[in-house]
Amino acid sequence: MAAYQEVCVCGFEEFNQAVEQHEGKRIFALFVGSKDTEGNSWCPLCTKAEPVIREGLKSASQECVFIYCQVGDKPYWRDPNNDFRKKLNVTSVPTLLKYGTPKKLVDAECRQANLVEMLFCED
Amino acid sequence: MPTSSPPGRRARVLSPGTSRPSSEAREELRRRLLELIEGNRVMIFSKSYCPHSARAHQSGLLQKILQEESAYEYDLIVIGGGSGGLSCAKEAAILGRKVMVLDFVVPSPRGTSWGLGGTCVNVGCIPKKLMHQAALLGQALRDSRKFGWEYSQQVKHNWETMTEAIQNHIGSLNWGYRLSLRERGVTYVNSYGEFVEHHTVKATNRKGQETYYTSANFVIATGERPRYLGIPGDKEFCITSDDLFSLPYCPGKTLVVGASYVALECAGFLAGLGLDVTVMVRSILLRGFDQEVAEKVGSYMQQHGVKFLRKFVPVMVQQLEKGSPGKLKVTAKSTEGPETIEGVYNTVLLAIGRDSCTRNIGLEKIGVRINEKNGKIPVNDVEQTNVPYVYAVGDVLEGKPELTPVAIQAGKLLARRLHGASSEKCDYFSIPTTVFTPLEYGCCGLSEEKATELYMKENLEVYHTLFWPLEWTVAGRDNNTCYAKIICNKLDQDRVIGFHVLGPNAGEITQGFAAAMKCGLTKQLLDETIGIHPTCGEVFTTLEITKSSGLAVTQQGC
Repeated sequence: MAAYQEVCVCGFEEFNQAVEQHEGKRIFALFVGSKDTEGNSWCPLCTKAEPVIREGLKSASQECVFIYCQVGDKPYWRDPNNDFRKKLNVTSVPTLLKYGTPKKLVDAECRQANLVEMLFCED
Repeated sequence: MPTSSPPGRRARVLSPGTSRPSSEAREELRRRLLELIEGNRVMIFSKSYCPHSARAHQSGLLQKILQEESAYEYDLIVIGGGSGGLSCAKEAAILGRKVMVLDFVVPSPRGTSWGLGGTCVNVGCIPKKLMHQAALLGQALRDSRKFGWEYSQQVKHNWETMTEAIQNHIGSLNWGYRLSLRERGVTYVNSYGEFVEHHTVKATNRKGQETYYTSANFVIATGERPRYLGIPGDKEFCITSDDLFSLPYCPGKTLVVGASYVALECAGFLAGLGLDVTVMVRSILLRGFDQEVAEKVGSYMQQHGVKFLRKFVPVMVQQLEKGSPGKLKVTAKSTEGPETIEGVYNTVLLAIGRDSCTRNIGLEKIGVRINEKNGKIPVNDVEQTNVPYVYAVGDVLEGKPELTPVAIQAGKLLARRLHGASSEKCDYFSIPTTVFTPLEYGCCGLSEEKATELYMKENLEVYHTLFWPLEWTVAGRDNNTCYAKIICNKLDQDRVIGFHVLGPNAGEITQGFAAAMKCGLTKQLLDETIGIHPTCGEVFTTLEITKSSGLAVTQQGC
């Protein structure tokens, strides 16, 4: 079991700051629909995927940073010009990716334990 | 376990819809059934229209019942994760088999390597077409001014920006393949596979660790790698297509050695990006392709600044300066006399052919025969080698076109046949292809030379024309350069047996006509087809001038 450092951010600005802060480290990021005051996300698939991903994190073989990023509310997300879509090419939630690499899982793929494990494992 | 037919229905024989069979046919059938029953320990009879039987058959359940308890860890091991290998593995997995893919890229002499997906994805079709597109966009920018676009910036090209973007896309494709294998439960191992004994392979990973695996069936899909010249300095200083698409620096003034489509396509886009390019050709261009069109391809490139050194071969490459790129001196000899020439280039790209990866995978240990001259594997019409449980697909096959879609189709159909779901064989006849040189060349069927050899000149009618794409008019680009040609068999209703187009978007044009040729396209059908205006493709619907008439084909207008 490797040590991973979790960073929770909300929105695009905070996400970028977190990436800059941890430059040079292995960064995994999970993008989810933001949670309301009761802790429920407007994105049901994100809610379902989260436990699978947290389980998969345990198998990350080396030290890494895990950025948990709430993207914003539903209207913001639906805007085709939001920063995540335009600048980061993240076009759906949930998205799990390894920052700076082509490794990415989207939507229902995030719920498949074998695929999540493949993303976290080192080649 | 013969099933009885439902009451009131006649027991169906082989083909539904036939009338009551004659007594000979019944006798023949009876004999055949008896033969089957006596010749097999277990015979399962099922109705072809019964969905339960069909499902049991397709899922491999019936097959499993018939087989002995499996002595092997896997049903299928595919050696080589390229177009053919992955297609075969995925299909076998869909049919419920236990499948493994062994893929490993031995680094090139320059140290280049890449991820899962094979030649096409990493160092072939995909990056090639993207770089070709980059070059076409350069041309489009030049044309744009004639169409009214005004900008003061000088347009120049950044090699690193282009390569990074292309490599990112390739990376996403590598990842996509890994996802799709994992989703289907195919085991992917990044190791070098070689046979050690029957039904057994040794897999060696990057760190040298060895693991052994056994399988009922194997598919060899190891593809090819670029050939070197065997002259001093070739491996140390020259690059190949393996290295070009991820080269971290602009290649600069380049000498391309070879006249294959790889050589001409690379020379073409390098020149299109603004580099100084020379092509050294030993004899003819695009061997195997229609030579009349091949020469036009070369001549267009020459008119647009690519230098050709015809009838020369390099004999030595020396390094004058180190660097990225450095400076190389190439000495070449004429093929016709004692003349020797020298040239200085930043980069020398060898594209003289590709060798099959069949010599170091232990084939001799299990007796799989290869063609000793070129390393290719001869197979029968179901892609089976001389060893019954070993099959092959893709570029390693003897006598088959080396194209991604061919490998994909062959791989898929092979998996289906192996696992009982079908008996369809791969049709290697009339396969279309396109050479993505600056002026693209698409073709399907026979070259004029091949057609003449097979059918004799007097039995052929060749229709042809030059044409001027509308988009080229305002842009002030060459008239009387683009070319269309069809070869018709007079002995078979003027059947179109050869299709050739030289012009923009040749690949897009050719694809449709390839389907028409599969349907038995004739000259009459072509004439009856109404063209789409204004396009390049429409010229094929109005072809009139034949070669035999001797009339000129130069365009006058419209």
